[in-house]
Amino acid sequence: MMVKNKLAMMNQENDEEDFDPETESESGSEEEEEDQQVVKLAEPSKTAVYNKDGLLERLNDISWPNNLDWTHRLNIDREEQEQVDVNDDLAREHAFYTQGLEGIRQAYVNFQSTGEPFLRPADYYAEMVKTDTHMEKVKGRLLAEKRRIEESEERRKARENKKLAKDIQAQKMKERTKQKKQEIESVKKWRKQRQQSGFDKEDAGGLDLAFDGGDVNKPFQRSNKKRPGVSPGDRSGGRANFGGKGGKGFDKKRKSREFKDSKFGFGGRKGLKKQNTAETTNDFGGSHKGERFAKNKRVKR
Amino acid sequence: MGKKRKHTETEAVANGNKDEIATERPKRTLLGFKDGSNTEENKDSSSVVTFRNKEKVLVTCSRRISYRYRHLMLNLVSLLPHCKKDNKVESKDAKGETLNELVELKSCSSCLFFECRKGKDLYLWMSKCPNGPSVKFLVNAVHTMEELKLTGNHLKGSRPILTFSSNFDKQPHWKLLKEMFMQIFGTPKDHRKSKPFYDHVFVFSILDDHVWFRNYQISCPHTGTTQKIDRGDLEKMTLVEVGPRFCLNPIKIFGGSFGGPTLYENPFYVAPNQIRSLEKKQKAGKYAKKVKAKTRRKMHQLSNPLEVDEFADMWKE
Repeated sequence: MMVKNKLAMMNQENDEEDFDPETESESGSEEEEEDQQVVKLAEPSKTAVYNKDGLLERLNDISWPNNLDWTHRLNIDREEQEQVDVNDDLAREHAFYTQGLEGIRQAYVNFQSTGEPFLRPADYYAEMVKTDTHMEKVKGRLLAEKRRIEESEERRKARENKKLAKDIQAQKMKERTKQKKQEIESVKKWRKQRQQSGFDKEDAGGLDLAFDGGDVNKPFQRSNKKRPGVSPGDRSGGRANFGGKGGKGFDKKRKSREFKDSKFGFGGRKGLKKQNTAETTNDFGGSHKGERFAKNKRVKR
Repeated sequence: MGKKRKHTETEAVANGNKDEIATERPKRTLLGFKDGSNTEENKDSSSVVTFRNKEKVLVTCSRRISYRYRHLMLNLVSLLPHCKKDNKVESKDAKGETLNELVELKSCSSCLFFECRKGKDLYLWMSKCPNGPSVKFLVNAVHTMEELKLTGNHLKGSRPILTFSSNFDKQPHWKLLKEMFMQIFGTPKDHRKSKPFYDHVFVFSILDDHVWFRNYQISCPHTGTTQKIDRGDLEKMTLVEVGPRFCLNPIKIFGGSFGGPTLYENPFYVAPNQIRSLEKKQKAGKYAKKVKAKTRRKMHQLSNPLEVDEFADMWKE
């Protein structure tokens, strides 16, 4: 149980020499201000000694002579400053910082008037108060923190972009399906029209119905979907290399090498060599070896 | 240690001696630090004041000091090039005499003694020997230089610039403390271990009756090798904290070294043991309080009976 006290008289300042502290059992009521384990009495204890004259006398004993050059003491005394709350860490540290900064400015001005060197040149290497290994650790920590912040920023941005991208993609899909629908609709309409008009207009005039979403000049063009592995005349539907060559390690680079091999070079679409293309449809039998030599002869000239 | 006298000093001394024979020597106001030969150099009737700061600080600690406080002590040793580190002091009683003897033995003029009690509380004694005043502090909020958040660095042994907050001049005990800080924490000029440039600053400020200590590195962007800085450079100057950091709570100021008459006692000081015992006492009566509360509730219930509830029998079969 805390010992509560009636208000004690503020008998703090005694001018008597060698005041004998009476051992009083009551102490001031104590508040516990948890400020970094600093606890103070709310009221000053009555038994405190304060011998001002003695203090000043000792001060005179130990102090250096008054007319001493400032460069011996190197002290800067600050002028009036406002009070800062001790518990507010940021404000407190800021107050210390400004005190140091102002002191330094004043000191540098003084130094400059003395004319002696006081700024450390960039090439002055000497033993520092913290070792190099320690400073490496500090640097590592700072870099790690910076990296962490950057990564979190990137992650946040990526998340936001993903959200946006989802929306954009959804929109695109919608548009595409709409277009497709419209195309189909227009074809149906054209067909109906043709049916209705009785199949008599078979020339290009019948095609003057402007297909929605399509150019009049290229009516039946396949959509511009990019399928890089497929050439337009490819009957295999782009699946010539599907199982065999694209099995292991099928990433982009190898895909392009494989793709090039298959398109221009050797041993590529074996499966299609036994299928007829437009040129070979009408070849019935006969060898083609002679043709090859003839072609080479012609090219050489 | 042979003292190298400058040319001017020898002439001045010679003058002084001549004057002594001729006229009454004026009352000297100068003080030397060590008795003996040093005072001769200062006895000048001419206006040339030769003052040599011969401050030497002995830094020791007690046994059973914990790691954090030991690191703090080592940090201070590296910050003060004019100090001497000594072994741990063993004695339980007669601490003052032992320390005084030790200081005399090492021919130092002041002492910083770190006393750690129960492995938890650190007390710092700061005293001017042999007969100067001494102060006992309780040290709080210790952050050593090894903490990675304190990123600054400065030359080892460069002289610090000391800044004091304005309330050091308000009262006599603060004035005394300021003088002691200036003498102990300031590196003597032309000390043989000191480095030439000024690149760090000590900040002493009084907040809430505690002395807060900070050590900052000065990073001033200056043009090349010239020693000129202009207003722009002064504005762009920044401070980076080097450490260590601590907070001192003065307990008592004594007239003698590690003893003597008490000149000042901090009225707001509470011993850490007392704080701990109070906390324990607060926790101690928990069960008794509970039981009391229970009985009180019972009495209260008995004295104010509830009126009969009309719906009490509603759901009874």
